Amino acid sequence: MTVLQACEWLKATRLSVFIRESKWGFSLIEMVHLLALAALGGALLIGALRVFGIILNEQPLQATLRDLSRIIAFGILAMLLSGFLLFADGPLRYYGNSAFRIKLLLILAAAASAFIVYRRFQARSALSVAPMGLKVATAVSITLWLSAAVAGRVIGVL
Amino acid sequence: MSSWFRKHSRAVMILSVTLLAGGYASAHHSFAAEFDAEKPARLVGVITKIEWTNPHSYFYLDVKNSKGDTINWGCEAGNPGALSRRGWKRGDIKIGDTLIVDGFLAKDGSHLIDARRVLLPDGRSVYGGSPGDGGPESDTPAPKP
Amino acid sequence: MTLLVQLCNWLADSWVGTQIRESDNLFSLIETVHVLGVAASAGVIMIVDLAVLRLVFARYSISQVLAPLVRITWIGFGLMAISGALLFWSEADKLYANVAFRVKMLLLIALGVNQWVFHRRLTSPALVHSKIGAGVSLGLWTGVIVLGRAIAYL
Repeated sequence: MTVLQACEWLKATRLSVFIRESKWGFSLIEMVHLLALAALGGALLIGALRVFGIILNEQPLQATLRDLSRIIAFGILAMLLSGFLLFADGPLRYYGNSAFRIKLLLILAAAASAFIVYRRFQARSALSVAPMGLKVATAVSITLWLSAAVAGRVIGVL
Repeated sequence: MSSWFRKHSRAVMILSVTLLAGGYASAHHSFAAEFDAEKPARLVGVITKIEWTNPHSYFYLDVKNSKGDTINWGCEAGNPGALSRRGWKRGDIKIGDTLIVDGFLAKDGSHLIDARRVLLPDGRSVYGGSPGDGGPESDTPAPKP
Repeated sequence: MTLLVQLCNWLADSWVGTQIRESDNLFSLIETVHVLGVAASAGVIMIVDLAVLRLVFARYSISQVLAPLVRITWIGFGLMAISGALLFWSEADKLYANVAFRVKMLLLIALGVNQWVFHRRLTSPALVHSKIGAGVSLGLWTGVIVLGRAIAYL
């Protein structure tokens, strides 16, 4: 089955039809997507500032990053779920949208980078100053997340 | 878990109510909620007003219906950037020009269509900037496999 | 209130307002800053609320956490205020009549009041009052975000 066929299959499912024809379904899903963006983005921002040693340096890394990683994981989950439902509203529409395709690639890269950051953090969580490797990985990750978010905005205005 | 809920029941209530209220209040405007994909329409009319604006552009046409009455219809199109990416600029249409607009009717019965394709006075056919759903009328038709 | 209506019309018809409203990409750019800025403003302040509720950052004292995070939100709110003002400038007449926009502004005012009422309690032993404030803040910020999206739909 090609990707295009999978999109056509999804469009024909009851889920897709329900979202497409419901008065408030799509808007509600969009709002959840936005709330998750606020939580995820806020946590990423605070985490990055901690890793770069700008705030909250009084305690070792794990004092902030352990809690933040929980918010980040929950936020990513909520984004993926709501994102999939938004996609289900019109699979072919997004399939043909170049900003959407780029965003998917960026999200994959961002998620992979987040995993790398998390592993590096786990190895060093008792420290108070983040080693250079963790800082570089964090910088790359933040850039990828931000790019994915911008690509998401471009989807709507393209 | 239930004690957490008891402690924060007020916040949870406010959260639920605002989500629901927001969802209901916004019922009017996602494409599928505002326009009817089962009701395609073609309007032929004379431009009376042009709003080349963000977040949507609008142009209004005086259209003669079957009885000979003239009704003013609104056509909703994309933002100026989206339109220029589809090949038409602000000056391409003027008040008094005749346009042929293909689109889908508003669900609430008002005189509004979602402009999918527009035949310009100079003979060019352009997309209206509403991406549609990937179907035959769509701005972003699904590519061939 | 016709003075306000006149002011909104004047703003929308002004050169700046018109430039933004009829722009190819400027409006989208400003809107993107506004939407993504929600993370640096509402997102961070909601995490601060979670900290006051002792659900996160429990190893820190409240005063250690508050100052640096609130400083971030000032930058975030600055971005939101500027981008929001520019968006408002471009469609002041439409927004004035928009119910979602009006309620959103009311919620922001309520948040300011909430902040003022409960902020003073944050370093006192009566932490429970600050926790109520944090809970209210979480709810109101959710409302602000939801209504911000609803503006486009009304």
